Amino acid sequence: MSASLARGLRSPIRRILNISQQSREISTSLIHNDTIVVKNNDDFVDKVMNSDRPVIVNFHAEWCDPCKILTPKLRELIEPLDNLDLAVVDVEDHAELVHTFEVKAVPAVIAIRDGLVVDKFIGLVDATMIENLIKKLSGNKPNKEKEKETAS
Amino acid sequence: MAPIASQYDYDLVVIGGGSGGLACAKEAVNLGAKVAVLDFVSPSPRGTRWGLGGTCVNVGCIPKKLMHQAALLGEAINDAQAYGWKIASPETIQNDWSALTEAVQNHVKSVNWVTRVDLRDKKIEYVNGLGQFKDANTVIAVMKNGSKKELTADKIVIAVGGRPHYPNVPGALEYAISSDDIFSLDTPPGKTCVVGAGYIGLECAGFLKGLGFDATILVRSVVLRGFDQEMAEKITNEMLDHGVNFQFKCIPKSIEKKANGKLLVTWINTESDTEQQDEFDTVLYATGRYALTKDLNLPAAGVEVVPENGKIDAINEQTNVSNIYAVGDVLQGRPELTPVAIHAGRLLARRMFGNSKQQMDYDNVATTVFSPIEYGCVGLSEDKAIQKYGADAIEVYHSYYKPTEYFIPQRSIKNCFLKTITLKEAPQKVLGLHFVGPHAGEIIQGFAAAMKCNLTMEILMNTVGIHPTVAEEFTRLNITKSSGKDPNPASCCS
Repeated sequence: MSASLARGLRSPIRRILNISQQSREISTSLIHNDTIVVKNNDDFVDKVMNSDRPVIVNFHAEWCDPCKILTPKLRELIEPLDNLDLAVVDVEDHAELVHTFEVKAVPAVIAIRDGLVVDKFIGLVDATMIENLIKKLSGNKPNKEKEKETAS
Repeated sequence: MAPIASQYDYDLVVIGGGSGGLACAKEAVNLGAKVAVLDFVSPSPRGTRWGLGGTCVNVGCIPKKLMHQAALLGEAINDAQAYGWKIASPETIQNDWSALTEAVQNHVKSVNWVTRVDLRDKKIEYVNGLGQFKDANTVIAVMKNGSKKELTADKIVIAVGGRPHYPNVPGALEYAISSDDIFSLDTPPGKTCVVGAGYIGLECAGFLKGLGFDATILVRSVVLRGFDQEMAEKITNEMLDHGVNFQFKCIPKSIEKKANGKLLVTWINTESDTEQQDEFDTVLYATGRYALTKDLNLPAAGVEVVPENGKIDAINEQTNVSNIYAVGDVLQGRPELTPVAIHAGRLLARRMFGNSKQQMDYDNVATTVFSPIEYGCVGLSEDKAIQKYGADAIEVYHSYYKPTEYFIPQRSIKNCFLKTITLKEAPQKVLGLHFVGPHAGEIIQGFAAAMKCNLTMEILMNTVGIHPTVAEEFTRLNITKSSGKDPNPASCCS
């Protein structure tokens, strides 16, 4: 556990050195892996594009019923992981991001690693596809199996 | 992107982000123009507002069709039992208004979003401000927070559409709602009084009754004025059979709010000159729409309007000012329909920026009233055909018909009726097609294309029908009004 905590410590420190941050946001990333709420473009560049960890970016809208199924599912699967982040972007508030990533429909899921798009899904995808994506990005087995490992 | 006409900010500024305005803007951009679109929604008297896309997307065609569908599905659940579906307690089946309006509004918002994304992708500048003319080449957009933005343009298109008319009846402005509000009403409308028997009034009363609400329509003169009156009568009869309460030749006198929160509507029967009253939860005004030209400050640009209704009497969509055009509901004497505005907007853009000479053909535009029993038509009404050609020069083929699906649930076929109006002289050119029945909109569409190809009765009679459908009835018509023979069908399949 301490190894992963140390890993968690290093990335925010790098972020402090790069760009000035509000301390509130850094402490959140240190204590537990909360979903990233993107505030603006600079925030996105900083927390997603410049992140050491891969980030799954979920484009979401309040009026979109499939989003109401997918987003909680993504949170449930990704929040427990310490080497993969989830960022939720509300399409009504982030027109430029929507344009940059050519999001034409919601829900959309874009996987970003080292500032590059490595995968993209449009529409409600089933749990298997999400789990495969998570496996691909984090090298982690899906949550349930990991718990069994640490328990044994 | 630099404008082609470089002394202005834009080649084209479109005032109004609805069906006509957006179609014109998108086509113009395809042809290389630099375009800006202004769109702004002033709140309704009840405070309702909405996003980009215009009347059709937000408070017209789209939500209307969805609510009509909701009502039809309610009927279908009933019919399903006759077809063997076991429904536990049919009497407990009811519609959840807030679930319905949430679903409808979610869809509307998704369309608003896709529209905005589309404008951005096509590099059309979108300004969320109320447009006003400063001069013939300058428009000032006033934003919600009061800030202003000035845009100069070579050409300007006015596509501001219209809004529901609130008359000078005591209590109307304070207590009544309109089609602007019904599709997002936060409480179920309850027992509703609809003032107006045009297609908006009929459609609203129709789906409200279908969803389980008591509905009364106050009809000033006739139902569906301007439409074929024989067909209007069929719709009225069907709605009466459905339980909609019509008060003919009645006009509202006042609307008061009672202590119990209900609205007391007093109306005058102009035929018997008597007064009547009833209590309602909601009063919905659907007595016509007015063009939104007053806020444009048109005098600054020198654009003239028709004084009675504020509409623009354009010739080939051009106003009296050579660089200013108009498209959509704001035009005088043109069908107020989304596809008309879209098509005219596109053709206009092609003439402005693409060297096209093609003008919009406003004749033989098909349309459908989505009343509980739908009415689709293309071409002339019987009255207009008689007016234009004389009763002796025309022939009307008519028939009642029985949709196959109606037998099992024993649905009434009393008002399932269609007719074709033709010239008497061979090959009997078709002047108008009229259909009352299920799926009328889907049925009439193909015939609109046939009309454009100069459809004649000879061709129609030689067309083999698809069986069993209701559309095939157009190919089976053979009884004329003039023969006096009974237009009721003997049996199917012969």
